[in-house]
Amino acid sequence: MKELYAASPLDQFKIHPIVDLNFGGVDVSLTNSALWMLIAIGAIIIFFFFATRRASMIPSRIQGAAEVMYEFIFDLVRDTVGAEGRKFFPYVFTLFIFILVANFFGMIPSIPGAPKEVHTFTTTSHLIVTFALAMLTITIVVIYGFWKNGLGFLRLFAPSGQPLPMYIILIPVEVVSFLSRPLSLAIRLFANMFAGHIILKVFAGFIVSLFSAGGAFVLIGIFPFLGILAVTLLEFLIAALQAYVFAILTCIYLSDAAHAADH
Amino acid sequence: MANDLDEDGAGRDKPPSLDEFSERLDAMRGEPNEEKPPGAGAGLGQAMRLSTELLAGLLVGGALGYGLDRLLETSPWFLLAGIGVGFAAGLRNLSRMLSRNNEGSSDRG
Repeated sequence: MKELYAASPLDQFKIHPIVDLNFGGVDVSLTNSALWMLIAIGAIIIFFFFATRRASMIPSRIQGAAEVMYEFIFDLVRDTVGAEGRKFFPYVFTLFIFILVANFFGMIPSIPGAPKEVHTFTTTSHLIVTFALAMLTITIVVIYGFWKNGLGFLRLFAPSGQPLPMYIILIPVEVVSFLSRPLSLAIRLFANMFAGHIILKVFAGFIVSLFSAGGAFVLIGIFPFLGILAVTLLEFLIAALQAYVFAILTCIYLSDAAHAADH
Repeated sequence: MANDLDEDGAGRDKPPSLDEFSERLDAMRGEPNEEKPPGAGAGLGQAMRLSTELLAGLLVGGALGYGLDRLLETSPWFLLAGIGVGFAAGLRNLSRMLSRNNEGSSDRG
């Protein structure tokens, strides 16, 4: 009990190495963050293995669940990028499923008394993870943009139909606007997961404090408990929503890259 | 829908080619409507984007300005200009994101 009480709300974000690995002087240890990424990927693979193993016209329950997700992202890609976006479907789907499952696994409570290394860990609550995902998206956007439009991709930075002197201001603004995309993608996902999990732990800390105070304070403990219930439900919504937002923004940026020469 | 991933075309005698399949699908769907009204969740998703779009513009603009200042030793002019440009870029992001929604009702991009 005392140990739980002393834990800071930030302890959940600490990286603990599990297996020390050194690759040419670079520390590539398997950490709890990497472990939970692997668990997420493993769960996805197992889920889709069983969902597609006995594919039939009348889907089983698990196949139905997989098809709902498939069609959801398929429609999203088709509606935002258009028909040519079909080749990006595997990427967007992978991204969506990985973020969704990683966010949801972060919502599982840790086993009490388990060693720190195996406490549930929200990999998407680390800025470097979300930034890596965002940079992957932007790299694909830039490469596809230049491949599809050639140098016409640069027209993205100079919207047509403006008076000439305006371009002195417009071009820097558009360039900064483009450069801010990976950052806004990364910060949004990271900040939502980070803040949500801190709120959960702070509320939980209130309950422990009130209980250890004893007397009438125990009764007041019901309020942070109701709060934590509401915030947990909200966090489930946010976990799904942030995966969706990341996927739809990837689609929008891809669509910009595909149609850069049009405007 | 999931069937066009099936390599063995389970449940069918002769699997049609992907192109043929998508032609038939398009014919059944009618005109490909690119501007579909977004669902209810999309509105909430958009609301969460607003703040970070502004913030990211400011951060990138400020960081670029700061970097140029360090490079050219002109502190603080590029930082100030960068924050201004970054704020403008954040607003540009917002306006682009919002105008995407009412493309039908406004011709400003």
